[in-house]
Amino acid sequence: MSGRANVINRVVLALLGLLLVAAGGLGLALSLKVFGSGRATRPVLPQEVSTFPDARPWFWWALAGVLLVIAVLALLWLLTQFKSDRATRLDRTTNARDGYTTLHAGALTDAVEDEVQGITGVTGVSARVREHRGEQVFLRVELADSADIGEVRTRLENDVVAHVREGVGDPRLPVTIELRPSASTTPRRSVR
Amino acid sequence: MRATNWVTRLVAALLALAILLGSLLGVAEIVAAALGRAPAVVPYPKWTGWLRTHSWNDGLVKAVLAGLVVLGLLLLLLAFRRGKPASLALRSDTDGVAVTASRRNLEKSLAAAAARTTSIAAASASVSRRTARVEARTVAPSEPGVREAVESAVRDRLESLGLERRLRTRVDLTTKDTR
Repeated sequence: MSGRANVINRVVLALLGLLLVAAGGLGLALSLKVFGSGRATRPVLPQEVSTFPDARPWFWWALAGVLLVIAVLALLWLLTQFKSDRATRLDRTTNARDGYTTLHAGALTDAVEDEVQGITGVTGVSARVREHRGEQVFLRVELADSADIGEVRTRLENDVVAHVREGVGDPRLPVTIELRPSASTTPRRSVR
Repeated sequence: MRATNWVTRLVAALLALAILLGSLLGVAEIVAAALGRAPAVVPYPKWTGWLRTHSWNDGLVKAVLAGLVVLGLLLLLLAFRRGKPASLALRSDTDGVAVTASRRNLEKSLAAAAARTTSIAAASASVSRRTARVEARTVAPSEPGVREAVESAVRDRLESLGLERRLRTRVDLTTKDTR
């Protein structure tokens, strides 16, 4: 799931939660006579409310419109759950009049994985390009328990990152490296 | 992804689906009523009749309202719960490079470091945002210096990673049952 979806989920859940707490709390306050015992004994759906739409035929169509808007928003929210922030290509176009240049993310990540796999102490690696506040490369590196973490980090940050940025032609391309120190010393194949 | 995020995602998907279906059902009922048809799925004349005859202090109404409050609080808890981090930030001197360590792997690594200490039969570790906690079982009871040795092994491992925020280490020793 993308980080954006996570933020959207938390915001929508918080809003729905607040709405339910407010509605339920207000109703409970009414039923517990906080607003007077007269109101507590009134029907949940008073006559004036249930007959309100009778003289106003537009009411039900307005309600249908509101429900359609809610349905569209719910559909968008549902689709957000299945969105990934993984990018399949990087746009390297400098001037659209001269043509478009794209770089397949797979070509980049394969090259990065091959280079990282060659570092002593690395037992597995997976790389991907993410589209989250701009393009960024995400590297997941599995380390043997005996790995010299300082040395691996130096190679990753000084060599691999420099080569990625050079390959993409962006000296400021953000790179995230997740190290996975392991308890096992047995080398493994790529975790991709 | 954190376990909390998976739960949030599942609840969000189910809620979104329920709201979507509920809204469409509402529209279908409005259209059916406009065409003079009987309720398609929702028996709303029965429901509105019930709401007209029951007051706010009715037991069932109170129970439903309390249920709404509980559900709302659960959603708020889900929205604001932080949970354990999936990874911990490491110090990085390179501009534009963020380095992290996977929490789960860090736990395994700390447990392995503790288990390699002399007199330790087995160890497990758990890491939160501020604390690394190691539970180790010693081979023999009350051997002097074992705790310090485990603490030192764990600290060395954490030092080698270079965490951005220093973790408090806590070591709990138990004696292995040799019966």
